[in-house]
Amino acid sequence: MSYLEYKIKTVPTGITKILYLNWPLVLLLTAVASVGFLMLFSVAGGNMQPWAEPQMKRFGLGMAAMFVIAMVPIWFWRNMAGLAYAVSILLLLLVEFFGFSGGGAQRWIDLGFMRLQPSELTKISMVMILAAYYDWLEVERISHPIWVLVPMALILVPTFLVLKQPDLGTAILLVAGGGIMMFIAGVHWAYFIAVIIAGVAVVYTALLSRGTDWQLLKDYQFRRIDTFLDPSTDPLGAGYNITQSKIALGSGGFSGRGFMQGTQSRLNFLPEKHTDFIFTTLAEEFGFVGAISLLVLYGLILMFCITSALTNNDRFGSLVTLGVAATFFLFFAVNMAMVMGLMPVVGVPLPLISYGGTAMIALLAAFGLAQSAHVHKPRGK
Amino acid sequence: MTRTPLRPLARILEAREKGENPDVIERENLDQRHEDLRDGARMRAEGRLLVLGVFFFVAFSVVGARMGLMAASEAHEPRAQASGAAIVATRADIVDRNGRVLATNLSTNSLYAQPLQMVDPVRSAHALVEIFPDLEAEKLIKQFTGGRKFLWIKKKISPEQQQAVFDIGEPGLLFGPREMRLYPNGRLAAHILGGASFGREGVHSAEVIGVAGVEKAMDSTLRDPARNGAPVQLSIDLTVQSAIRQVLYGGMKLMNAKGAMAVLMEINSGEVISMVSLPDFDPNDRPDLPTTGDAGDSPLFNRAVQGVYELGSVFKIFNMAMALEDGHVTPTSMVDTTGPMRWGRYRIRDFHNYGPHLSATDVIVKSSNVGSARLALQAGAERQQEFLGDLGFFTPTPVELVEAPYAKPLLPKNWSDIVVMTASYGHGFSSSPLHLATGYASLLNGGTKVTPTLLKREGPVPVGPRIVQSEVSEAARSMLRQVVVRGTARFGEVPGYAVGGKTGTADKPKPRGGYYKDRVVATFASVFPAHDPKFVLIVSLDEPSENSGPKPRRTAGWTAVPVAAEVIRRTAPLLGLRPEIEPVPEDKLLLSSN
Repeated sequence: MSYLEYKIKTVPTGITKILYLNWPLVLLLTAVASVGFLMLFSVAGGNMQPWAEPQMKRFGLGMAAMFVIAMVPIWFWRNMAGLAYAVSILLLLLVEFFGFSGGGAQRWIDLGFMRLQPSELTKISMVMILAAYYDWLEVERISHPIWVLVPMALILVPTFLVLKQPDLGTAILLVAGGGIMMFIAGVHWAYFIAVIIAGVAVVYTALLSRGTDWQLLKDYQFRRIDTFLDPSTDPLGAGYNITQSKIALGSGGFSGRGFMQGTQSRLNFLPEKHTDFIFTTLAEEFGFVGAISLLVLYGLILMFCITSALTNNDRFGSLVTLGVAATFFLFFAVNMAMVMGLMPVVGVPLPLISYGGTAMIALLAAFGLAQSAHVHKPRGK
Repeated sequence: MTRTPLRPLARILEAREKGENPDVIERENLDQRHEDLRDGARMRAEGRLLVLGVFFFVAFSVVGARMGLMAASEAHEPRAQASGAAIVATRADIVDRNGRVLATNLSTNSLYAQPLQMVDPVRSAHALVEIFPDLEAEKLIKQFTGGRKFLWIKKKISPEQQQAVFDIGEPGLLFGPREMRLYPNGRLAAHILGGASFGREGVHSAEVIGVAGVEKAMDSTLRDPARNGAPVQLSIDLTVQSAIRQVLYGGMKLMNAKGAMAVLMEINSGEVISMVSLPDFDPNDRPDLPTTGDAGDSPLFNRAVQGVYELGSVFKIFNMAMALEDGHVTPTSMVDTTGPMRWGRYRIRDFHNYGPHLSATDVIVKSSNVGSARLALQAGAERQQEFLGDLGFFTPTPVELVEAPYAKPLLPKNWSDIVVMTASYGHGFSSSPLHLATGYASLLNGGTKVTPTLLKREGPVPVGPRIVQSEVSEAARSMLRQVVVRGTARFGEVPGYAVGGKTGTADKPKPRGGYYKDRVVATFASVFPAHDPKFVLIVSLDEPSENSGPKPRRTAGWTAVPVAAEVIRRTAPLLGLRPEIEPVPEDKLLLSSN
C-alpha cells in the first residue's frame, strides 16, 4: 500500500516532527556509540587521540545527518531511490578506475576533504532501491520469475563491483541484506531454497577447485578458510587474530578485567584492535557481562526498528526500516561471529563501535531513513 | 486463485429490479477485493517478519552462547611449536648412571630479518653490529637493502641479546623459538656425548640432530616420540668422570704429554664407568673438524675409542694367559729368555738382559719380550689369532658411539711367525684402549667375555662365552699384582686397593715406516682389587716425558703408572670400594697340622 492512498494530513509537519522521532532508537544508538568511544579511548591507552576524538566528531556529524534525513518526508527518499542507486554504482565504477588502495584493496575515493568509501553508500542505496521496487510492484507479481530477476540483478551488480575491489565482507553483507529484503517483501520460499542449494554447490566447487589451474579463490582466501577451520595450524600467521581474540575473550571471563585493564589489546597483541577486532577489547575488559550487554543493546535497536516497521502501513517506509535493521544486524552478527571464530575473517566492522568514518556516517544516515519512515508513517485512516 | 466476479449477475438483476445503481455493487466488491489483497499481503509480511525475528533470535543465542563458552574457557597461550609439529619432537635428555643430567634442551631464540618490513635498515644494521660485534655493518646493509625477503642473522641468541635487539625497535627484525641442546657439565664427557646441531630449520622451530658420539649413535632413540621423552641413561658416573678428568689433566701436564686418555670399566658387566680423552672440547660450542694437521691431535678425536695404537707390553698378559690355558707353562715354570733373539733380519731384545731363564711370572713382572715371543711361538699363529680374536681385538668395539665402528684394529695382512712374536708383546698390530680394557676385563673377571657398553645395564648381566679357566684368570691377576708389588709398576701401589697391572711403553711408528726413538705411548692397564676384581682401568699418555731426572724418562712405569695410581686413589672411594688388607696367598709349603 502506497503512501498516496493515505491522507497526508495525518502526517506531522514542521517542527512538531521532532516529537515524532523514534527517540528510544536515538538513545540506543548514542549508547552503543558511547561504548565505542570508551573502547577506543581504552585501546589508545587512555587517550582521546588518535581514535576516540575523531570518532566522536564523526558521530556528531552522523547524528546531524540522521536528523536532517529524518526531517525530509519519506516519499522524497522513495523518489530519490533510483538516483541514489545509480550514483552508488557510478562511484563503485570510479573506485574501480581511480580508487586509492587501503590495506591491499581499492576501496576509497579521495574527495579532497574526506575519503569516501562507496561500498558503504551502496548498502543504503540498495536497501532504498529494493524497498522502492517492492513498493511499486504489484503484490500479485512478487513471485513471478521475471520480477524476481530484476531485484536479483539490482543486488548482484554492486556485489560484483565490490568483489572486484576486493572486499568479501561487504559483498557478503550486500547479498545477505538484499536477500533478507526480498524475503520480507514476500518472494516465494522456493527461490530461497534454490539459492541456498546453489550456494552450497558453488562453495563446494570452489573448495574442489583448489590447486587446479582454474581455482576460483585466491590462495589467501583458501588459507583463511583453512585457518578458520583450524586456527591452531598457523597461530602466528593467518590464525593470529582469531587465536589472540579467543585468548582475550577467555581472559575476560565473566566480569572482565576492568576498564583499561585489558592485556591482549593494550599490549598490542592484536592487530586491527581499534577496527574489526575491537569487540575483543570489550570482551576482555568488561567480560561476558559487558559483551552480553552490548548484545542486548543491539537487540533493542533491532526491536525498535521492527516495531516501527510493523506499525507502518507505508510499504516503502516499512521495507526501508527493515532493510536498515537487517543491514545493521548483519554487520554486528558477522563481526561477532568472525571475532569469536564462528566464521572466517572477512573484514566487517562492528557497527557504531569500530573506528571508521564512512561506515559510521553511512549507518547513521541509514537510520535517518528509518527515522523518516517513522516520523512520516500514516497515522489513522 | 478463484475470483469472485465484480458484477455478479444475480445481485445486479436484483439491484436493477429495486432500481439501484449496479455500479455501487461493483465498487463495493472492488473495495472488498483490495481489502482482501491488502490483508493477505499483511499476513504474509507479518509471517515473514516472524521468521526473520526467529532467525535474529537464533543468531543472538548462538553468539551469546559462544561468548559464554569462551568466557568460561581458560585463557591459554597457543604453543608456537604446534605449527611445525612434524619436525619438533623434544629430544630426550641424556643422564648418567645416577640420573644426573648430561645433556638437556634449552629454549632460546633465533634472530632473522624480513628486510621488506624494515623501517630503517641502515640504523638497524649499525645497532645490530653494536650488539653482535662479529657482524659487519656493510654486509648487513647490503643484505637488508638488496631486495631479499628473508635472511638469518643469528641462529642462537641469549635473552640479553634478544632484549637488546628488541630495543632497536625495528619491526623487520624477528625472533623464532629455538630448542637448543645444552651440556651443563661442559667438557666433562665431551667425547662420549659428542654434540648436536640444527638439522632442518624453520622460523618457528628447528630440528636438533646429533652430530657425534652418543648423540649421533642414538639419534633415532633420542628423538623417538614413542619413548615420550624418557631420558637415555648412560653407564657413565659423572663424579668419577670428573675426578678422572681432573687427575688425568694434571698428569698429562706433569708428564709433558700431548694427549692422555683413560677408560674405567666395570669388570663383569662391561659398563664403561668413565671415559676421558684429552685434549677435549666443549660440546656446547663444538669446534669444526680440523682441515690441516693430524686428525689424531684434534680435540674432537676420542683417543679411547678412535685412537688405534700399538699398545705394547700390556699385551704380554694375554700371551701368558694363552700359554697357561694351553698348559705350556705354569706360573712357576722356567722360560728361556736368552737374548737377543734373531729371526731372519729381525732381532728381539729385552730392555735389560735378564739372563738365560726367568719364571713365567717373572716374564710378566720384568716384562721380557724374548720370553713372551718364545711362548707365542709355542702356541703358533692360528691359536694366537683365535685367542686374540676371542678377546675382541680383531673387530671394532660395539659401544654406542658413532665413531666406534670406524675404529677398526690395524692388522698385518700376513700373520707370519715374526708377527706372532711381536704380537705377543703388543707390537705389529694396533687396537684402541677400549679394546684393551675389554680384553683385560674378559681375561681377569674369571675368564668370561664381556661386551663393552656405554648404557647402564638393567637387570642381571648375561655371562659371556668362557675364554680361559678361572684358575688361569686368577693366576694372571696374581702375576699382574706381582708387577705392581715388585716389577715395572711399583709406583702403581695404592694401599688398600691391591692394584694389579701391566705397563706398556710402545715406540710410536713413523708415518713412513720404522719407529721414533723418543716418542712413545705409555700405557698402564690395571685391575683392582686384584684378589676380588671389580674394575679395569686403562691409562695412556701420548708422548710423555718425565724430566725430573738427569735424562727424560718415558717408560710407562715412570709416567702412566703414577697417574693411574692417583686415579685409583681418588676414584676407588667414589666407586664404593673400601680399602682392605690383602689376604695373604695360601702358601702350600707352609700347610701345618696340629
